[in-house]
Amino acid sequence: MSAQTETTTKDAPLHLETATFEGKNKVLGFWLFLGAETVLFACLFGTYLALRHQTLPGQPTGKELFDLNLVALATAFLLTSSLTSVLAMHYMNQQRKGLMQLWLGITVLLGLAFLVLEIYEFVHYVHEGHTFMSSAFGSSFYALVGTHGAHVTFGIVWISTLMLQAARRGITKETAPKLFVSSLYWHFIDVVWVFIFTLVYLLGKVG
Amino acid sequence: MANTTKKSGIGKHIISFAFMIALTIAAFYLVINNVVSKGWILPLILILAVIQVILQLFTFMHLDQKGSNYYTFFMIVGIFVAVISAIGIIVM
Amino acid sequence: MATLLVIIVFALFLTAILTGGYNKKFFARVKDTKVWDWITTVDHKKIGILYFISGIFFFLIGGIEAIFMRLQLAFPDSNLFVGDVFNQLLTMHGTTMIFLAAMPMIFGLMNAVVPLQIGARDVAFPFVNALGFWLFFFGGLLLNLSWIFGGAPDAGWTSYTSLALNNYSPGPGVDYYVLGLQIAGIGTLIGGLNFIATIINMRAPGMSFLRLPMFTWTVFVTSALILFAFPPLTVALLLLMFDRIFGANFFDYAMGGSTVIWEHLFWIFGHPEVYIVILPAFGVMSEVISTFSRKRLFGYTSMVFATVLIGFLGFMVWVHHMFTVGLGPVSNSVFAVATMAIAVPTGIKVFNWLFTMWGGEIRFTTPMLWAVGFIPTFVMGGMTGVMLALPPADYQYQDSYFVVAHFHYVLVGGTVFGLFAGLYYWWPKMFGKMLSERLGKWHFWLFAIGFHLTFFPQHFLGLFGMPRRVFTYHSNLGLDTLNLLSSIGVIGMALGTIILGVAIYRSFLSKEQAPADPWDGRTLEWTIASPPPEYNFAQTPLIRSYDAFWVAKEQKTQIEPAEPLAPIHMPSSSYLPIMMSLGLFIAGFGFITRGIEVSILGVAITLLMMFLRSFEQDHGYHIDPRPIREEKGAKV
Repeated sequence: MSAQTETTTKDAPLHLETATFEGKNKVLGFWLFLGAETVLFACLFGTYLALRHQTLPGQPTGKELFDLNLVALATAFLLTSSLTSVLAMHYMNQQRKGLMQLWLGITVLLGLAFLVLEIYEFVHYVHEGHTFMSSAFGSSFYALVGTHGAHVTFGIVWISTLMLQAARRGITKETAPKLFVSSLYWHFIDVVWVFIFTLVYLLGKVG
Repeated sequence: MANTTKKSGIGKHIISFAFMIALTIAAFYLVINNVVSKGWILPLILILAVIQVILQLFTFMHLDQKGSNYYTFFMIVGIFVAVISAIGIIVM
Repeated sequence: MATLLVIIVFALFLTAILTGGYNKKFFARVKDTKVWDWITTVDHKKIGILYFISGIFFFLIGGIEAIFMRLQLAFPDSNLFVGDVFNQLLTMHGTTMIFLAAMPMIFGLMNAVVPLQIGARDVAFPFVNALGFWLFFFGGLLLNLSWIFGGAPDAGWTSYTSLALNNYSPGPGVDYYVLGLQIAGIGTLIGGLNFIATIINMRAPGMSFLRLPMFTWTVFVTSALILFAFPPLTVALLLLMFDRIFGANFFDYAMGGSTVIWEHLFWIFGHPEVYIVILPAFGVMSEVISTFSRKRLFGYTSMVFATVLIGFLGFMVWVHHMFTVGLGPVSNSVFAVATMAIAVPTGIKVFNWLFTMWGGEIRFTTPMLWAVGFIPTFVMGGMTGVMLALPPADYQYQDSYFVVAHFHYVLVGGTVFGLFAGLYYWWPKMFGKMLSERLGKWHFWLFAIGFHLTFFPQHFLGLFGMPRRVFTYHSNLGLDTLNLLSSIGVIGMALGTIILGVAIYRSFLSKEQAPADPWDGRTLEWTIASPPPEYNFAQTPLIRSYDAFWVAKEQKTQIEPAEPLAPIHMPSSSYLPIMMSLGLFIAGFGFITRGIEVSILGVAITLLMMFLRSFEQDHGYHIDPRPIREEKGAKV
């Protein structure tokens, strides 16, 4: 297939992730996957927003529970990790492995910090009597925010795995598309978080 | 190595990041300080979120680059289905 | 669960002993077997066959369930399959037919045909393709194991809450539904994703979007529908799983939940699903009618437009399944209008088929018979669809046999007729053997007459007030004769299917090889041998027009190659897809039996396989087509 002939120019191509045919497929396929994820999260958002006032008498409401300082800190972590991830991709395309690994490492650390905050938050809520089983509000809250948290966890594991691969094999036409789609995934997690802090926490605080 | 292109790439991302932070702060500010009436708050913070997401998509996720037409198209379809589904579940 | 582990270990020992004892050569011997070749394949043609065979297998199971139901309903007050058993039959019939028969048969055709039609050597992600199949297969297996272990799901294929919650559906039945469909659904989702990427990226040079064969177009739109419609199902099943297994309260009214959310999520998925199974049938019809009328498809561009429009509108009509929920007159009106609007693009398609036949040199081969039989049958289903789209009328029809008749006219008269047309049409390309024309015609007439005899009376049964999903009716209500007729019709469909089985059996026995182009075809798949070599095209063709092969035949030329003969890159086969799917299968079983350790083990297997896949450095292998070409004299 003619498209399969790789563009192997001597100087590194500007977009290493789509330098091969497999890379092009991978990036396209991953965007399609993100399209599906968009619908998946929309359904979770819809469920949450439909059920967010459904607490039983005596149970804490979102307005009473949510702590915006904590949310602001978590948001700062995740937003910054999105920037560090894009910087890592920038250095990847320049074949500067050390800098790429550095920024990827910072991304993972920020992701971990976010996750720690989220776990702390959940534990706190459970003590307040807001659990997965306490009410429809509880179920839908943990389903939405928890699914996002699961995505963050998977992203951390994935990016760490790819850092290991990059350390072993360097930035090649095989590893570059993987690194690039993991970065897309990470940005997507950030996009979802933007809606979570807006529609769950801020809106919850408004009432 | 072309130093200028490198700079502009990072520069663009930093500027975009600054905008995102500003939008986030604006949303938090609106809610914490009760600046606008209750009816206006949701549309306002939603608009701020949407702008921020568009920034993410087109700068960090590189939808502004050439050859992104298919990605953009399928994302738009996905967002379309997502919005209809979510509104359907919430409103009806 | 310890029992399960013991059984697995025991089975492994048994295999080892039976295959000559465990020694170093054991793995080498296993790798040489046909079975190993098939379970590790990433070749789209083999995966297509796997999909198709499993689809037919589940079609037979679903058919047997239908026969049991019609036996029960043949006479009033009969007590053959009563209550729970009947509920299980009707639930499993619907679920099996939609998810495990129609979908895989469609995926079978997609896999077998689309890469050939676009002049590609394989799909965009061969590994994902295999993974999609195995996920579907293990999901279907899990669902059907419910018959043996603990009872089948019995809350209807729509599995409405609150009925599907623990209080009203105790026992593992609905858990099997939730986990089985979840696993199969993920497989379907990645399969659809794969085909979008394939059609966008893998087209041969010159194969622009408006030169794509119609079947490929419908597959493209179907895949997009799969991509965006399956996530709502994933969420719905996830929430139901949380409610049933982890004590969540999404659908529990007493705890603030809402049952309407299930209905929304299910139908946001469910309505596009209807188009997912019908659009490829439309595509098959377009190919078959055009080929056997020896005419270019009439109004190709409008067909494409209509297909896209149907796909688009498919997402905006789900509430017509919920008219009687009481969402209010505004919702009902909006969705009624949107629903009726779908009749327009569908009408465009029907007229285009008629105009394609008009003035053509029609040959009534078996595929063409199915196609011609499809048109009036499907139009009837469409007409009752428009009737049901009117909310006031729907209040009368809903939950009656009128609805059953309607969707069987669409799903059997549309999808199944389409799949049979595709089966007879592409069988020689898939297997290299022809199916008997004589038996095929018997199959068609018996099945079509049996079908109408079964479902036409059901319209009237519904109008006379017979509710669906109820296991019996009393005598002297005016329902006896029509029910008996309906049950008699099943004999026709059953005989037709048996004849299909005979035809398939005979085709496998026959020594005669099918020619490359048995039907005087128009599209690229007929330019290569039947069955195609594993690399499909020795040289990628250069496409200059729609119906490129037909144009070349008319001009007495050949399709030019777009590249010189060179070694062809092939992906290597892999055991990882089946292992990943097996992991999820084990995890699903763990959730159903509430053995969370087993679930963790299953998920761990899957994650380990993903990890192995990520680190695998697999560059595939190359085939040199030159010697093969000289030997066989295959044309390009």
